[in-house]
Amino acid sequence: MAKWQHRRTAFTAALFAVALVATACRGGGDTGGGGGEGEVALGTGVTQEACPDTPNQDNGCIYLGIISDLTSGPFAALAVPITDAQKAFWERVNENGGIQAGDQAFDVDVTSYVKDNKYNPEVHRQVYQEIEGEVLGLAQTLGSPTTAAIINDLKQNNVVSAPASWTSAWEFEDVILESGTNYCFESMNSVDYAVEEFGAESVMAVHYPGDYGEDAAGGAEVAAEAQGLDFTAIETGQGPENQAGAIKAVVSQKPDLVIVTTGPTDAAAIVGESAAKGFEGKFIGTSPTWNPALLKSPAADAFKALYLQSGPWGPFGADTPGHEAMREALGDVEPSDGYTAGWAWSYPMKAALEAAAENGDLTREGLLEAVTSLTTVDYEGMLPEDAGNYADEPNEAVFRQSVMSEVDEDAPTGVSVARDLYTGPSAEGYEFTEPCF
Amino acid sequence: MSAPTATPPQRPAGRKPRQLSGRPGLYTSYAQHLRLLNTRPKLVAVGAILLLAFAMPWLAQDRTLSLLALACAASIGAIGLNIVTGYAGQVSLGHAFFLAIGAYTAAVLSGDTDGRTIGFGVTNVVIWLLAAGLVAGLFGVLVAPLATRLRGLYLAIVTLGLVFIGEHVFKEWRDLTGGAGVGRPGPVPELFGVNLASSGDVFTSDQKLYLLMLVCLVVFGVLARNLARSKVGRAFAAIRDRDIAASVIGVNLTRYKVVAFAVSSFYAGVAGALVYTITGFIEPTSFNLLLSVQYIAMVLIGGVATISGSIMGAFFITLLPALTRESPTILPFISSDASAPLNVFQVETVLYGLLIIGFLIFEPRGLFGIWTRIRNYWKAWPFSY
Amino acid sequence: MKELISSTLAGLGQGSIYALLALGFVIIYKSMRVISFAQPALMLAGAVLVSYLVGPFGFILAVILGVVGIALLGLGLERTVIRPMVGKPVFVVAIITLGIDIALRVVINGFIGTDVRQVGDPWGFSRVSFLGVTVQERYIAMFLTTAVVITILFAFFKYTRLGLATRAASFDQETALAQGISVSTVFAMAWAIAGGLAAIAGTFVATGVGVDQQLWIIALKALPAIILGGLDSLGGAVVGGLTIGVVESLVATYQSDFAPWLGDNFSVVSPYVVMLLVLLVKPYGLFGTKEVERV
Repeated sequence: MAKWQHRRTAFTAALFAVALVATACRGGGDTGGGGGEGEVALGTGVTQEACPDTPNQDNGCIYLGIISDLTSGPFAALAVPITDAQKAFWERVNENGGIQAGDQAFDVDVTSYVKDNKYNPEVHRQVYQEIEGEVLGLAQTLGSPTTAAIINDLKQNNVVSAPASWTSAWEFEDVILESGTNYCFESMNSVDYAVEEFGAESVMAVHYPGDYGEDAAGGAEVAAEAQGLDFTAIETGQGPENQAGAIKAVVSQKPDLVIVTTGPTDAAAIVGESAAKGFEGKFIGTSPTWNPALLKSPAADAFKALYLQSGPWGPFGADTPGHEAMREALGDVEPSDGYTAGWAWSYPMKAALEAAAENGDLTREGLLEAVTSLTTVDYEGMLPEDAGNYADEPNEAVFRQSVMSEVDEDAPTGVSVARDLYTGPSAEGYEFTEPCF
Repeated sequence: MSAPTATPPQRPAGRKPRQLSGRPGLYTSYAQHLRLLNTRPKLVAVGAILLLAFAMPWLAQDRTLSLLALACAASIGAIGLNIVTGYAGQVSLGHAFFLAIGAYTAAVLSGDTDGRTIGFGVTNVVIWLLAAGLVAGLFGVLVAPLATRLRGLYLAIVTLGLVFIGEHVFKEWRDLTGGAGVGRPGPVPELFGVNLASSGDVFTSDQKLYLLMLVCLVVFGVLARNLARSKVGRAFAAIRDRDIAASVIGVNLTRYKVVAFAVSSFYAGVAGALVYTITGFIEPTSFNLLLSVQYIAMVLIGGVATISGSIMGAFFITLLPALTRESPTILPFISSDASAPLNVFQVETVLYGLLIIGFLIFEPRGLFGIWTRIRNYWKAWPFSY
Repeated sequence: MKELISSTLAGLGQGSIYALLALGFVIIYKSMRVISFAQPALMLAGAVLVSYLVGPFGFILAVILGVVGIALLGLGLERTVIRPMVGKPVFVVAIITLGIDIALRVVINGFIGTDVRQVGDPWGFSRVSFLGVTVQERYIAMFLTTAVVITILFAFFKYTRLGLATRAASFDQETALAQGISVSTVFAMAWAIAGGLAAIAGTFVATGVGVDQQLWIIALKALPAIILGGLDSLGGAVVGGLTIGVVESLVATYQSDFAPWLGDNFSVVSPYVVMLLVLLVKPYGLFGTKEVERV
């Protein structure tokens, strides 16, 4: 009994000790290097010392944070490959000598400050504050509500960040380095595509609530209006058992085109059951809607017959130098378009860092200035150079092209390009003055 | 609210309780026993803790302060849950719903009048904080009739239904909440013309918010402590221990259950408003089962029917994720690669679950129980075994 | 009319899943007066285990092995984590089960990975028509399997010694102990059965659409079902589960036509609304034992 009590006391003591360690002393937030040595001004999260575990011991180091949904949130299945691709991307940059700033070079470290947000805005903000003082910018901030929770901090501290979400709202934020088109324009293009290819006369958007689904539904509505089509929007919840309402709407209203913005299992329920009930129209989904494993599911035949897949860039197996470099850098992995997204999202950050380094100003202010004067980004062919326009007003700068893919069992992620980057008439003519949802 | 009107226990006039030298823990009168700080060591300890707490803004880093502020705000919510669950014995899994009511009331009152979501631009902290509490308290009163019919796990799961239905309403009512996955800005805290959420020349926003939360916690903590030792508190305890027996000795069950729910919801509303002031952003799906359960865990881990236990529990649960996030530095051999089979992020989450399990198996009376054991050990030292 | 019938049948199929899960909750509740929040994780584990076993063993054998596997997992959890808590306040135990759920699901998620895993069921989305009413085969399979499982379970509780022991222990633990019944065996068995039932339910949830990391949420729908039926009634759990399934299906089919003002996806919360309404009339559910109150 006495021994037991001692152990309990020891446990308590340990708890208090941990608590004390956590309460570090109040110090200055700026842990960046002095910046006196070279001509390059160094800010928070940039050091003269080399990154940990890098072969380039002579280079300095730029630290970028990653906040992603790595374990228990709804997007973990996509977020883990995104994060892996980004690590591979920056490793490749470092192997090629890093970011050049005059006679100096900097490696980029995206592995030291990786945090899990569990797709919860509060957690996102907490982990952001934990790494805020250590990084120059964020190589990834996953999710719209989560990023919205820190957007004011980002703006206040000039923290340039690459998002992992495609909502149209990011076009209106300077600190956010979005890549490719957003769901809004993607859906407009999907509707235009269906009008051209199948002569669609009615459109239904089956979508999740929130930025993801509503942005897409907003775009579909714009295009339907522009093309003079019938439009209905059906909001649906998460979980395959909750799709009965959506399926009923699809089957009873028989639209020519259904824009689906849900997760893969819910899409399987909607597409599979609608087809089983005799629905013959087309479905067009977005990247998060698709998962190659659906081709092994009972809904596979329905997907092969009815499903098309839009995306901001070509799928994993596409044939561009950027895709090629990505596949090579990743090596032997299970193909997923999470990798493609993570890779593509990293190019503008690289371009911005290079521009800032060239200006000799690797501080947060310097990086933000570099971003706001960035008019082209080299995506190595994944996207055209003018997709990386961050200087002009949203209506001019927004990138309106998207890719349409069709189901192809032999392709690595189950889809291959049907029509490469294109802009439909609706997207072309849309006046983009505010987010679509 | 009934908290401030708590009648002090009878105290014989003019007689000061004596302190015996060398026996600091000895009560010499009933009045002393019931007093807020009834022994000298308690007085000294509470004073020291308060001193340290108010010195924190100059000692700790901003991100630590932000976490501590969150813990303070959560403490108020935990105290609220402890009033209904710990003191009055009515287990509620609906706390997330009341937190949401408070958060949205505050956000609507203080919100931007021209924003995407409803807002009235009343940014004074005192006004929206009280309004948040009162509106939530009102909902508590509406829910209370259920509690007079149900007990135990039935009540728990029915209040859980409240969370699900509330979540549905919050997701659908776009003008209020912005909708799922979009959300709206949190309450804007302004006091005497100073916006507490933006950094000024003297204080950073984290310092100001921390101080606000600390002051609120002290105020609401003392009020709750007073309630607990009043007639109302004793009625709660009687209901908890055996409701029929309580009604036999003249405790009006319906009335006190309604009071318990109202006070508890008031606290939850205040806590919701404060927590989301710190977070700065409200997303309607946050108010789910997990949030309710976190508060239940705070109460259980802290200690049932104790105010200091609620605070300890809230600090534990709020700081735990921050501590488990430090696990990579303690366990460097675990891969930090998110695609590895057992990586630090999984360990973090698993550790969170395991610590809760371990803690409750180890000490079901909670942190307060541990504290009691330490105190008793040293009380009888060196003859303690 | 046809739509009504097929919607009801689909609801019965979906409801059988809830019934299986609800039975798991009730069996644990009856034996130890605790609601186990670990059921969602066990359900997910069952579906994932079956998705791994279906390759080498085929569907039927995979499900049987999966049920055994998850039953053993439930047993193991009871032995290691729940056993030390016997006699502790029930809410402490409930929170512990929740801790198990959090920890276990992260581990299972690791096994799901980025893909949607398939349980390889023979039904898919194929449908049968009878008198003009079409219904998916998998719903019929769910309903029939559940009927068989429940019959076996009820027979077990009624006619076997262990079943009798379980009933005795749930009636009065101390008296049962005094009669020489091993209450610890009863506890262990309750967790094993609950695990097995969760595995079947998980497999059924995954038919057609597959397993992803969010599958566990469905298990929470069993909570209104058990309250509806009465926490300590096995029959109530079945009735409650089926009712919830049918209500949900009907609301999903008709609400957009008749009551659009309730908001999109009202079907998701309809089980809770039904639960609240029933409780206003019958505070201990439809078949729950009314507590005898003594001072």
